[in-house]
Amino acid sequence: MTREDPVKHFFLWPAVLVVLAIAIFPLIFSLANSFMSLRLVPPIPARFVGFDNYIKLLGDERFWQVVRTTSLIAFTSVALQFVLGFSIALALVKKVKGADFFRVTFLLPMLVTPVAVALVAKQILNPTMGPLNQITSFFGFSNLPYLTDANWALGSLIAVEIWQWTPFIILLLLAGLQGLPDDVYEAAELENASPWQQFWGITFPMMLPISAAVVFIRIVESFKIIDTVFVMTGGGPGISTETLSLFAYQEGFKKFNLGYTSALSFVFLFVVLIMSLIYLAILKPYLEKYK
Amino acid sequence: MSVRDLKGSGRHWVLAGCLAWLAFSLFPLYWVAITSFKSPVDVVGGPTYLPFVDFQPTLTAWRDLFSGIRGEFFSNFWSSTIVALSSAVIATTIGSMAAYSLVRFTFRVRLLSGVAFFVIAMGGYLLGRDVFGVSPALASIVSFCLALALSIFVNRFRLPGPVLGNDDIVFWFVSQRLFPPIVVAFALFLLYTEMGKFGFRMTDTYFGLTLAYVAFSLPIVIWLMRDFIASLPLDVEEAAMVDNVPTWRIFFGIVLPMSKPGLIATFVITLAFVWNEFLFALFLTNSKWQTLPILVAGQNSQRGDEWWAISAAALVAIIPMVLIAGLLGRMMRSGLLTGAVK
Repeated sequence: MTREDPVKHFFLWPAVLVVLAIAIFPLIFSLANSFMSLRLVPPIPARFVGFDNYIKLLGDERFWQVVRTTSLIAFTSVALQFVLGFSIALALVKKVKGADFFRVTFLLPMLVTPVAVALVAKQILNPTMGPLNQITSFFGFSNLPYLTDANWALGSLIAVEIWQWTPFIILLLLAGLQGLPDDVYEAAELENASPWQQFWGITFPMMLPISAAVVFIRIVESFKIIDTVFVMTGGGPGISTETLSLFAYQEGFKKFNLGYTSALSFVFLFVVLIMSLIYLAILKPYLEKYK
Repeated sequence: MSVRDLKGSGRHWVLAGCLAWLAFSLFPLYWVAITSFKSPVDVVGGPTYLPFVDFQPTLTAWRDLFSGIRGEFFSNFWSSTIVALSSAVIATTIGSMAAYSLVRFTFRVRLLSGVAFFVIAMGGYLLGRDVFGVSPALASIVSFCLALALSIFVNRFRLPGPVLGNDDIVFWFVSQRLFPPIVVAFALFLLYTEMGKFGFRMTDTYFGLTLAYVAFSLPIVIWLMRDFIASLPLDVEEAAMVDNVPTWRIFFGIVLPMSKPGLIATFVITLAFVWNEFLFALFLTNSKWQTLPILVAGQNSQRGDEWWAISAAALVAIIPMVLIAGLLGRMMRSGLLTGAVK
């Protein structure tokens, strides 16, 4: 039901004003800057340069490297989070022993401050004094370069992402699984469908819309990753673990090249938008099929 | 026992898997907790696991932390607490007001007036700065107000082009989460700095940081609260309307108390988001209003391998969130968050 009352504007406008002023206006401001040559150090007067910043950026090998790294971290970690999160949510909804206890404790990592997580991970992954090194040494591999070799460092970052964000997937998928009707499963049971068939024939298709939404949220959020990388590797070794946000931060705060940074932010935004559109386009036929 | 429950020997394997995940989830937390009680010798000598067996716990790290020789710990703790609490309160309040009005009333926004806002804001800023030569701060304030006023005015006319309804407004709010925050963080830092030159100090102030957090929590609040409010029964409100109770009293007196569980959940989620936030705090603060995540991240470069000290600092950031996790877990068991997912 909807009714009319001018007071509705007083309810909506505070939120709209704050978002307009703090989120939308800076965005416009930043878009304006991206067409300028703007430097704080050394201060040179701003000059309109059109698409120069964008052209320079797209020709920058480092930028493409950073895009690859970020996508790799985002897609790999979200894929693993989804598989793990789905299995755990299934176990919990199927009332594994102690489900109530697991449900609360499994949530924990999600709420832990990411920078703190990164610091703890750094201790655990320490190649000489860390507990992980003790375990791998037992199997004959000691002093592995967890954070100092490009591939290992990427793996470590992905592991930390999985540790922290699988709970989010568990939380949402569990809520979805609990909402599935029992009668479909009763019918399947009468038909003697195996658990495996029940999963692919009933559970998975019925969970597809919410799974799609959850994966989408996680991928978009993963693309923003900066705090964990900032603390754990600082983008290193070299620039092999540098993500888009970190690259923008380095360009902006170390080189004070603001026009370039703004252009970078917008390409970043554009990448996320394109990715979302492709994702939705790929998924659309499946979502409609199971509607 | 429902048909969907586990049967047969598979149960043990599933339990084993859950226990393995439990160990993986909890070990880092256990590790940081015991490390904060270790003495330097116990840390450098290789990993030790059990207090009193492997190593003798000491309170050195905690004493150092509280005595303040590890940086402005108390100041950071308080600014984190104050900023997180107040932004969560403000965001939940104005967010649920907006959510309520979006559920119960109809809004119409013409797409063209949105476009007008964009064009006037950007054009006004560029014109003001490059043609009229006013300072960037003045140019942005003037162009913002002008764009807002004009786009509201323009919205009154029958413009061609699509008309956006309530769902589109909700989508507009939620789509803010799509933007990488770094896009806005830089611009916000610049705008705040310009404001500073203009006389309003915004960087490193309570006001500036809280405002930014409110803006970035609002999408989540509106998204969650809209579903909660939409699921409330209408008859109580209708009865109040018959008695001519004004809308603001219906909202604060009836709707808010009825959606208390939803409000608590939303508040807690927002609180956790702000408490853990790193990027905006990094950009917008430098000393007085620096929050805990910045302090914790700073330990990394300042202290190198002094893990006992780092762990104690990290724990201070972690513990309040662990308490919140307990709260959230209890709410989830009562099926409270189920509604938010749809």
